[in-house]
Amino acid sequence: MADFTAEVFQNEFLSDGATDVHAIVTVTCSGAGTAGGVGSTSDGSTAEIIIVDTSGSMQGRNMESAKHAAAVAVDQIADGTWFAVVGGSHVAERIFPYPNARVSMVAMEPGAREEAKRAIARMAPGGGTAISTWLRMADELFSTVPAAQKHAILLTDGKNESEASVNLDRVIQQVTGHFQCDARGVGDRWVVEELRKISTALLGTVDLIAQPEDIADDFAALVQKAMSRGVAAAELRVWAPQGAQVLFVRQVAPTVEDLTARRSELNALTGAYPTGAWGDESRDYHVAVRVASRPVGSEQLAARVQLAVGGEVVSSGLVKAKWSDDDALTTRISPEVAHYTGQAELASVIQEGLAAKAAGDEATATVKLGRAVQLAAETGNDEATSRLRKIVEVENEEQGTVRLKRNTAKLDEMALDTASTKTTRVRKS
Amino acid sequence: MSDPTSKETGSEMSTDTAAVVTCPECGEVAAPGARFCEGCGTSLTPPAPDAGNGSGVTADGAPAPGGPPHPGLTARPGEVQEAAPPPSATVLDPDPDSGVVPAARPCAACGGRVAADGYCEACGTPAQSERDHFEEHPASWVAGVCDRGIRHARNEDAMALATGPAPGTSPDRFAALVVCDGVSSAPDSDVASLAASRAARDVLATYGPGGTPASGAPVTGGTSARIAGWTDALVASSRAASAAVVEAAASIAAGRSPEDPVREPPSCTFATAVVDGDLVVAGWIGDSRVYWLPDSGEAEQLSVDDSWAQEMIAAGIPREQAENAPQAHAITRWLGPDAPDADAHCAATVARGPGWLLVCSDGLWNYCSPAGDVLDLVHRVQEEHAGEPLAMSGALVRWANEQGGRDNITAALARLVPTGRDRGSAAQPAPAAP
Repeated sequence: MADFTAEVFQNEFLSDGATDVHAIVTVTCSGAGTAGGVGSTSDGSTAEIIIVDTSGSMQGRNMESAKHAAAVAVDQIADGTWFAVVGGSHVAERIFPYPNARVSMVAMEPGAREEAKRAIARMAPGGGTAISTWLRMADELFSTVPAAQKHAILLTDGKNESEASVNLDRVIQQVTGHFQCDARGVGDRWVVEELRKISTALLGTVDLIAQPEDIADDFAALVQKAMSRGVAAAELRVWAPQGAQVLFVRQVAPTVEDLTARRSELNALTGAYPTGAWGDESRDYHVAVRVASRPVGSEQLAARVQLAVGGEVVSSGLVKAKWSDDDALTTRISPEVAHYTGQAELASVIQEGLAAKAAGDEATATVKLGRAVQLAAETGNDEATSRLRKIVEVENEEQGTVRLKRNTAKLDEMALDTASTKTTRVRKS
Repeated sequence: MSDPTSKETGSEMSTDTAAVVTCPECGEVAAPGARFCEGCGTSLTPPAPDAGNGSGVTADGAPAPGGPPHPGLTARPGEVQEAAPPPSATVLDPDPDSGVVPAARPCAACGGRVAADGYCEACGTPAQSERDHFEEHPASWVAGVCDRGIRHARNEDAMALATGPAPGTSPDRFAALVVCDGVSSAPDSDVASLAASRAARDVLATYGPGGTPASGAPVTGGTSARIAGWTDALVASSRAASAAVVEAAASIAAGRSPEDPVREPPSCTFATAVVDGDLVVAGWIGDSRVYWLPDSGEAEQLSVDDSWAQEMIAAGIPREQAENAPQAHAITRWLGPDAPDADAHCAATVARGPGWLLVCSDGLWNYCSPAGDVLDLVHRVQEEHAGEPLAMSGALVRWANEQGGRDNITAALARLVPTGRDRGSAAQPAPAAP
């Protein structure tokens, strides 16, 4: 049985008249078991769909690498797991089970694995790109199986050019909550923002695969990770007292994801935010609540941050507010809150800076990416620093003064963009 | 006391008691002196006085929420002391840091449900322990509220009230109101103050109607004889309170590891008023106060603080200046193992018209020191609460909290309506003929 713990990091002391309470809550899961395996909290069944772009642009090295990667992924899917393979162009096609098969998904077993690989080998590129049709087919296939945990991998190499973007937005919204999806782009002709929309809504990750040869390793890792998530679906619950306002709820590690808008109301004081499946891992959440100020000396619970699995609260962290007139207590800033505030800002200034650069607004891009360089240094995010240095010439890291580099590689910008939401943990001093 | 360095010591309460108590609901064996079952939260305080010892005073001075008011002393109060466990055993105060609260009391701030994590489910206010806030209402004309306030981590004030069987309008009416304020620079003063207040109350009850004091006789006679008698009784009660503090200190010290000795013994103040017919006798040690607040006429502070501020006032420094000096709250007399003496100073007055007797700690009077200000305040809450003493005491505490609640707050009120037929001046009224 999985074991969850919640740890709260905050400075609970507020100065007289202060109203805003910030806390980082670290939720850690251990003993999650494997998806569908012994010790799993799911009902014993999981489902996996591999969605591969088969549009005309995939022709050549990309298609061959993608086919190889899909076959490798199929090898990683555990026996007993419901699975399917979808090929996507301007329409979606069920590659396996074969289109004429009477079942939509099959339970993995050695025979099915070999047959699926044969089907994958016969995939041929052609047509345009309408990702909404791929997601809709995955959703339909998933809906036919009773699996508690549903996960998809989506691989594309191009822009979603065969449909209006509102179309994709609408379908994303329709399938949200039905399955989780990790999105991958190969090469430099796909659009980071499009795949990020998908992975954010579907509680997955987005990443760039620069070289087609690397797809197979990435797929194998993604499937392994999905298979290792023994806790099917959980939700983060945030209670705030009557009259209080939840300013935001943000996952801040391992990646920055703003959960605020994903709130569904559990009761008048408690909101629930989906977290997707859990393996043995740790995630950090930044919760900010505005409460009415109380007299110095008062104490109030500002938030209960809880993790619930199957409707049961399995762990709870208490965020407190204590009003004090002791400046030594109230002026201290929690290092965790400061760190993740910086990391969240880092993610947004990188994205805003790259967007400005793409739009030709060099002044804004310079300011934003300069700030990013400064924040990356302050929060010790070396990975972001080295990625930023491929885009900008750093004049003064401390002050965040930079010049935009000329003729940067598109791949470097995309790598910076996709990795922008990855955070580093607080360095324990 | 308003020593700003209020400490949060571990709750090393004395827990000796006479008998093992099991929860009537779930059968869980209760911790000694527990008011509520740890298992299911059922109140362990007997809903009615223990008939076995013939006493009207429960061992536990603080009534269970929603429980009936104390019916008052009925017979042989001398037995009360034997039957009652040591006062220090009647407190079960959960560590405020652990969040473990024995009682499922509704939230003090909004009335909402308190969750298992120790905070209100609606407004997030921390749960109050029984020790943090309690009320007593032994008769319709006597009530008091004792509250932690806002600034302090624990409630080191204590209060114990008792009344006689006669109604408040009778010439035989009797009440004893005891307020003790633990010195917050000394750890475990909350235990000491509660022990002291209950010991004093129980001693005073034995001098009241129908009582059998351990030494001397119940107070009777003419006004001057009774003033003398109550002065002796008040000194006896302050000595008993002192002994209770010393005993509590000893058991606290015994419960400590030798590496962590008690640096400062617990101590507390003492302010008491006895109502005997129309006569009011006050006794005090330290700076908790007794005020007589007539409906018409001059308000009067019966007690005289044993404090640095009072000494300065006596020396001619204006009250406001003296009471706002940094050392204003240093007290010159107190109860405790290191106290030079334990004899209450006393003063008496005879009520000539209806009015309120108020016994309070400095958590209240800090915000309204002059007797006239207290009078105005009490008259205001009297109007707002239709003269109901419990509601008024609660309103006084709330008012002090609204002023900042910098200290623990205790306010105990008795409503006096003089009969003019003071029992000492006439023959003892005969029992009503059938």
